[in-house]
Amino acid sequence: MSLLLRSSWRWLRHHPWQSASTLLGIALAVAVVTGVDLANESARRAFSASIDGVAGKATHEIVGGPQGVDETLYRDLRRQGFRASAPVVEGWVQAKDRPLLLIGIDPLAEGELRSFSASWRQEGSDIQSTGVPFGDFMYQPGAVVMGAELAAELGLEVGQTMAVEVAGKSHSLTLLALLRASQDLDRQSAKDLLLCDISTAQEVLDQRGWLSRIDLRLDADSHLGEAAWRQALPAGVVLQSKSSRRGVLDQMTSAFRLNLQALSLLALLVGMFLIYNTMTFAVVERRPLLGNLRLLGVTRRQIFWLILGEALTLGLLASGLGLALGYVIAQGLLTLVTQTINDLYFVLSVGQVQLLPTALLKGLLLGSLGSVVASLVPASEAMATPPGQVMQRSSLERSVQTTLPRRALLGLVGLLGCTLLLQIPSTSLALGFGILLLFVLSCAVLVPPSMWWVMNLLQRLGGGLGLLARLAIRGVNASLSRTGVATAALVVAVAMTLGVALMVGSFRSTLEIWLETTLEADVYVAPVDFASRGGRQDLDAALVDRLLQTPGVAAVTTTRRVEVVSRQGPLQLMALGMERPAFDRFTFVDGTAAKIWPAFVDGGALISEPLAHHRQLAVGDRLELLGADGWRPLTVAGIYYDYGSDRGVVSLYRDTYDRWWRDPGIHTLAFYAQQTVDSRTLIDALRQRAEGEPLLITANGDLRRYSLDVFDRTFAITQVLRLLAMGVAFLGILSALMALQLERRRELAVLRALGLTPRQLAWQVVTQTSLMGAVAGLLSIPLGIALSVLLIEVINRRAFGWSLDLELAPSAMLASFVLALVAALLAGLYPAWRLGRSTTANALREE
Amino acid sequence: MGLRQDPIAAGLWRAAPWRAALCLTFLWVSLASCQGAPRRGTPTAAEETAETLSPVHILQADAVPGFEQATTPRRFDFPADHGPHPTFRTEWWYFVGNLESDGGRAFGFQLTFFRQSARPDAVPRGSDWASQDLYFAHFAVSDVAEQRFAAFERFSRGALDLAGAQGDPFHLWIEDWSVEKQAPPTSARAGPSDGLGLWPATLQAADGDIELRLELLSSKPPVAIGDRGLSVKSELTGAASHYYSLTRIASRGSLRIGDRVFAVRGNAWLDREWSTSTLSPEQTGWDWFSLQLDDGRDLMFYVIRRQDGTVEPASHGVLVETDGGARHLSLDDVELQVVADWQSPGGVTYPAAWRLAIPDLDLHLNIEPRLADQELRLSVAYWEGTVRVEGRQGDRPVNGLGYVELVGYGF
Repeated sequence: MSLLLRSSWRWLRHHPWQSASTLLGIALAVAVVTGVDLANESARRAFSASIDGVAGKATHEIVGGPQGVDETLYRDLRRQGFRASAPVVEGWVQAKDRPLLLIGIDPLAEGELRSFSASWRQEGSDIQSTGVPFGDFMYQPGAVVMGAELAAELGLEVGQTMAVEVAGKSHSLTLLALLRASQDLDRQSAKDLLLCDISTAQEVLDQRGWLSRIDLRLDADSHLGEAAWRQALPAGVVLQSKSSRRGVLDQMTSAFRLNLQALSLLALLVGMFLIYNTMTFAVVERRPLLGNLRLLGVTRRQIFWLILGEALTLGLLASGLGLALGYVIAQGLLTLVTQTINDLYFVLSVGQVQLLPTALLKGLLLGSLGSVVASLVPASEAMATPPGQVMQRSSLERSVQTTLPRRALLGLVGLLGCTLLLQIPSTSLALGFGILLLFVLSCAVLVPPSMWWVMNLLQRLGGGLGLLARLAIRGVNASLSRTGVATAALVVAVAMTLGVALMVGSFRSTLEIWLETTLEADVYVAPVDFASRGGRQDLDAALVDRLLQTPGVAAVTTTRRVEVVSRQGPLQLMALGMERPAFDRFTFVDGTAAKIWPAFVDGGALISEPLAHHRQLAVGDRLELLGADGWRPLTVAGIYYDYGSDRGVVSLYRDTYDRWWRDPGIHTLAFYAQQTVDSRTLIDALRQRAEGEPLLITANGDLRRYSLDVFDRTFAITQVLRLLAMGVAFLGILSALMALQLERRRELAVLRALGLTPRQLAWQVVTQTSLMGAVAGLLSIPLGIALSVLLIEVINRRAFGWSLDLELAPSAMLASFVLALVAALLAGLYPAWRLGRSTTANALREE
Repeated sequence: MGLRQDPIAAGLWRAAPWRAALCLTFLWVSLASCQGAPRRGTPTAAEETAETLSPVHILQADAVPGFEQATTPRRFDFPADHGPHPTFRTEWWYFVGNLESDGGRAFGFQLTFFRQSARPDAVPRGSDWASQDLYFAHFAVSDVAEQRFAAFERFSRGALDLAGAQGDPFHLWIEDWSVEKQAPPTSARAGPSDGLGLWPATLQAADGDIELRLELLSSKPPVAIGDRGLSVKSELTGAASHYYSLTRIASRGSLRIGDRVFAVRGNAWLDREWSTSTLSPEQTGWDWFSLQLDDGRDLMFYVIRRQDGTVEPASHGVLVETDGGARHLSLDDVELQVVADWQSPGGVTYPAAWRLAIPDLDLHLNIEPRLADQELRLSVAYWEGTVRVEGRQGDRPVNGLGYVELVGYGF
């Protein structure tokens, strides 16, 4: 067996370029998968820690309407003997430039739910006169405790004060002691947590009279079970389990995370093509050697395992490298993932990438097993090598060509399968990705026949081409066993990047058009924290009155955006104070504004398209929301296009909202200027009226730009993944084509001996690789478009429920073509350069 | 003084109702010094201490200066003095009593409310949770027949009506535990006929499988303890409290234990005390006796124990006649001797039987717990429980029931 291993080793060593680029390609693919996995999972854990980190032993919680839970409810429950409960007031504060979660608790109520430990430095020793600094936790206004890590980061020592900002107002907080990570508070959550007394939290967050929630611990054996609690609760609040809350929020981001994962798996798919290509090449190249080995008595089985072993070794090495690389990538990705989650879902602060064994193991398995699976075909091919009599290359290529019709048929059957699967009326995202995968594989199988056909066509048309060009063209088809696979990898990789680019572009253009129609008021006014995380500040009522009196205003739309409780979890609600003309900005999935307006004014709800999709709601259906006096059934009056929230939004007429929620605040105002007034003038007038109150006053153009910025931020991660996949593809092309040309050394030496100059030969090599690049680039365009249609119509619809208009951006298509061409060109350069330097005799010596 | 100075007796001599908050403050400090790194040995080193945030720590908050101190006798003003005295740092309402069911089953109960302030003056705050006051309460029931004892505690801030106290009409509560003067019938004239403004009141507390609901019907008049309501704890200025007692309160009601409900009646005892000072460093704890004798007299006596094994000379008590007339008892008036010990599951040795004598009156009493384990193992552990009294005055037998509190053991 050592002979076999040595032969393997020698072969790999004599093809260092190919080995290295394969290694690197797989490593990069594994890195992308692992990186995405680590970033996703770290973000998920950071989020779950933000729920569980301070939940302790709480099993349930009581939540209320937009403002929270009236604090007197807590008192009433306690005085009725309902214990094992703790009030929580929490919200985000801005410390320097980072958001921190301020959690207000009642230390006297926490006993049954959780425990926090803190440490402090104690000077001197006279215990009798030294109080416990923790004692002031409840009494000292602005006293907080935080983890040592955070304190170090903020450069804060015990006893020092820091300034935090909430809604433009500054508050001074004093560090009382350092929190310790414990059973009820893991390091992750302690990282951006300020713990304080509930009174301080209410003051800083301006939540006098309101609790964010009441945490409960319900024991199965307690005589005050869940039923008793539920009975004791007034209308307007609900009791829900912690796990259901976690579930809902987890679900919220699941589509987003699945999409990232799928993108990363596509990168792996390209990587597998790469392995397949490398191993196929290795087998083809070594046919004489394998034949001799068989002659020496090596069994078929041994040959089979030899090839698999090589693949496994390569895969393992590459995966190891990929894991390290993946960890590095994950750091960057996590920032992007967090950014997106913050923009789209909820506040989450960037945590650290955690080295999760499962994600690492997954990367290792995918990399190594993927390699093995990808080389199953080449390995069985090697096994089939007859002993002694070396099968001619030409006969191999002939056999490949004879199987072309069969391959084409296989690909077509695959495509038919996709079409059939698409007919299944399912909303399963996993099935969607399955279809996508099948489609890509089918197309990959179709690439060699297509290329063969294209080359034949070129040959027939290219009678006038020079000898060298024709030689290059024929060369492609003559070694289809390798060029076919390499091109397929190239096509898949390029098409995938094109598909994603087209999808993102379509999304962006759809959004742009939507913003154009939606943001048609001239000036928007919002509190300063509107754009910041967790900002939910109301506009001052007196200020609103003043602003409404501004001269030059034709109409105003008021908005209040809150989170309410629905039967299926939290839901974004917009209360709109608007008049009929402003209503026309809505574009409805079906029905017209004129028809829907009366139902809307009459108490009907408008729901956004994603909400209709997620909740399977149609016009006329009922949606139950928790109002101030209990559950309120709402009738869906219309479904409108909205790209502002992927979870979906329900919009109510302001009167409807006021009737059921008694929550009079206003978050934003949209002003329509009179015909004769331009928006600059109106902005100045509003500024004057604001009398120096901190406000965001924005012209609609700026707001549009801001929205698009958010969009671009959101899709930054997609772009990065696309670039990474392109990197994998590039390496794949490079390795495949380079190997191809290096393998042709002897053939080219013969040409050289026949009188071709090194320059002519180099030209021939570059022509051939460019030709393949060009064909791949061309083939990838229809495939890329098809992929983008699948992404838009199947994946995106199933994941988010958005309608997007396909926009075929020529620039994206051109870029893909150029990518393929440049990669192929580069792949030809090195062999061409080497050809120019090698001597004919050396190349022929093997003869 | 009438104290026997044998080692056991000296060690076991304790004193007095310098209770709860003070006692707790004292105990917590002791506790902390037991648990932490060796503090006294390294006077200059800064040490790292770690603790779990708990109500106990809130109790240990440094007092802000400015609280009033008890330095002069006090003319009590009822019903206002039943309510809180926020200018003093510490205050408590101590209800204990012995009850008996219709079937003759004996129970003891304790329901104690404590108030401790961090600051003498309120700071204006933007939250209704802000509070200077911490309230806590202990509730314990002793089931003599079943030899079962159960104790519970509550902590709350004196804010948002979660816990609080008021004098007129009398109301005292932490969450669902409360003592409240019953609203007078609408036809009746408002205002208390006895000038006390307390009765009838409803006392209720429940936790675990125990629920107590008592009507407190009437009592002997209040007795001012110490020097006309100034109860001195040591020779230090301000080391004193204002202190009055209602030594015999006729009570009836119901006690539920598990599924069984007992109709009960008996006599309760209320101790009211407020102050600002704490025990001095050499004072380590106290024993407090409240005895209700068959002949209608009530006896209260406490001793403060000191580190050197002696007893605080200022320790004192009172003997209340059937008609409410009171006789002050100084340490010299009383002989107290421990005659048995009991070890708690936690290894703390408590005295468990006493001989108490007032030689001047020829009154000799043997005091014995009706149930050995009446240790409240709560945030702070101490022993408080029902006792049986047997003895004689001259040749006349004198029996009775009572409550004893033993604080400062095991530290």
